[in-house]
Amino acid sequence: MATRQRRAPWGGLARVPLYLLAVTMLAPFWWMVIGAFKPVPELSKNPPSFLPADPSVDNFHDSVWEPGKQIAGHVAGVFQRWPELPGGYFRFMANSLVVTTAVTVGSLLLASMAAYALTKMEIKGRRIIFLVVLASMMVPWQVSLIPNYLIVRNLGWLDSYQGYIVPALAKAFVLFFLVQYMRSIPDELVHAGRVDGAGEFRIWWRIVLPLLRPALAAMAIFIALAEWNNFLWPLIIINDDSFANLPVALSRLSTSVAQNPQGMGVVMAASLLTSLPTVIFFFVFQKHFTKGITLSGIKG
Amino acid sequence: MSTTKAPEAAPPETPPETPARKKNHQPHLRRNLPGYLMLLPFLALFAAFLVWPLLNSLYLAFTDFNGIKPPGFVGFDNFERLWTDDARFRKALGNTVMYVIASVTLTTLLALALALAFRTTSLRDKTMRTIFFLPSVTSSMALFLIWGWIFDVEDFGLANTVLGWFGGDSVAWLSTPELAVPILVFISVWGGAGYGMIIFVAGLNAIPEELYEQAEIDGASTFRQFWHITLPLLRPVTTYVLVTSLIGAFQVFEAVYIVFRTTASNVGGILDSALMIVPYLYDMGFGKFELGFASAVAWTLFIIIFIVSTVQLRLTRTLKDL
Repeated sequence: MATRQRRAPWGGLARVPLYLLAVTMLAPFWWMVIGAFKPVPELSKNPPSFLPADPSVDNFHDSVWEPGKQIAGHVAGVFQRWPELPGGYFRFMANSLVVTTAVTVGSLLLASMAAYALTKMEIKGRRIIFLVVLASMMVPWQVSLIPNYLIVRNLGWLDSYQGYIVPALAKAFVLFFLVQYMRSIPDELVHAGRVDGAGEFRIWWRIVLPLLRPALAAMAIFIALAEWNNFLWPLIIINDDSFANLPVALSRLSTSVAQNPQGMGVVMAASLLTSLPTVIFFFVFQKHFTKGITLSGIKG
Repeated sequence: MSTTKAPEAAPPETPPETPARKKNHQPHLRRNLPGYLMLLPFLALFAAFLVWPLLNSLYLAFTDFNGIKPPGFVGFDNFERLWTDDARFRKALGNTVMYVIASVTLTTLLALALALAFRTTSLRDKTMRTIFFLPSVTSSMALFLIWGWIFDVEDFGLANTVLGWFGGDSVAWLSTPELAVPILVFISVWGGAGYGMIIFVAGLNAIPEELYEQAEIDGASTFRQFWHITLPLLRPVTTYVLVTSLIGAFQVFEAVYIVFRTTASNVGGILDSALMIVPYLYDMGFGKFELGFASAVAWTLFIIIFIVSTVQLRLTRTLKDL
């Protein structure tokens, strides 16, 4: 490895700007974390502090704050907002979790079933089906935004979980990726299953899915991250706070404190809470992340 | 992107004669019924929420649909209005083009530089890669809110504080029209370079070591090795990074909406200085409920992305043949 490093057209010195850049990379994260723990008066201090002088959890839960009263230096913490909503902020976490899980599991099941049928069975017109799916990947999804909104509205699915989940289940790129991957699974395994008298569903579930695990893990990460961050679609279909996901709740929170630096601590606290799950998830599954990107990047 | 690449190593399309198949002579449909059943859920949802909406939006683009009364056919009126008589769309298009060019170029260059500098499995390189990759795994909404706060107009905003260290005067970052697109480019490069870096690292490590050894023996300089071995062999990876970030950049929405929105009804910042195509689509469709017109915007976006990515792929192929 050391010999390789030498060949990069950089000396050690040329790397210095990149280290400085790394500081720039981390600065916003630092700013978020300290912002979340700064007490309200400190948020509008000039010059700002780079370590909270008096760290507090007021931005999460302020024990001095009381509903309906104006107390200088105190605002409602994240967990004290949305008093009319059972669970408050945790409701959004639960919504995000439910939707992300449902979309990830559902779309992987649907796509892997379809990929199995397309690669391991005789399906009439499978070339055309595959071609249409491929072609659809060229189309930016915003093109289908308005008709999808109308469909969901006509189904009465505005402000509902199914409004998030059902339209997001058939993902062309997941099918494409799984078909590519499924082709590398030897047909003999499937035939052996058939000879043993196993039904197609059983072969798919018992033989093929376990072999697909790396591909499924890679796709799961992509789908889950995208769904966790999904904003434009829920922004359009969700009006009622009880079905808002985290990004929508965050955006509404920031609108409600706009122009008031005293509220930014609360926004940073909420941002921190929203980011933590994915960052922890990343550190736990780090290997799968990079593998997933390179798998789909190089193969796709 | 990948669509034009022929799927490599596709097995022969005709399935081999299987023992099971020889044994039973059931009719095709009966034998493959499970297959069709397994395909059905995906295809049904794919047709309902992707194919049909696409065709429907193409139809709506030629109507004056406003969400309430039935759509009336208006021919090419929407497109005509869009291209000849719509200053906001021109603004959005101009901003998007500037944004796409700057963001894609800078992101790709930085990603390549990072990959070259931090490609090994040493602790230092791994740490650096993690740092640069961090934005890719953080809630993008949170990131845009943080950036919005960093570019606070007040003196105590982080950007103005840093500027103050170097003796600069405070800048009203988000309300200076000339700064809107550069700020969006900056945020996207900051957030996107790490992702490209990971792909470039994989590409770099796939280049056979022997090529460099041979070049070294032949006395090729580091720069020549980079120019004649690394860059040409990285071309497929570079194309992938370029095309995907290009398509992503054309669809920018959240950053504009979160960082630059000033009031509930404004999506494009001061004087539409940050307005892009998708925010404009959102504004026309869901702010003003001109759904027919917004569909025309959507199809225009599609056509632009289609042309640009096709041209880009052609260009790369031509370069390869040189």
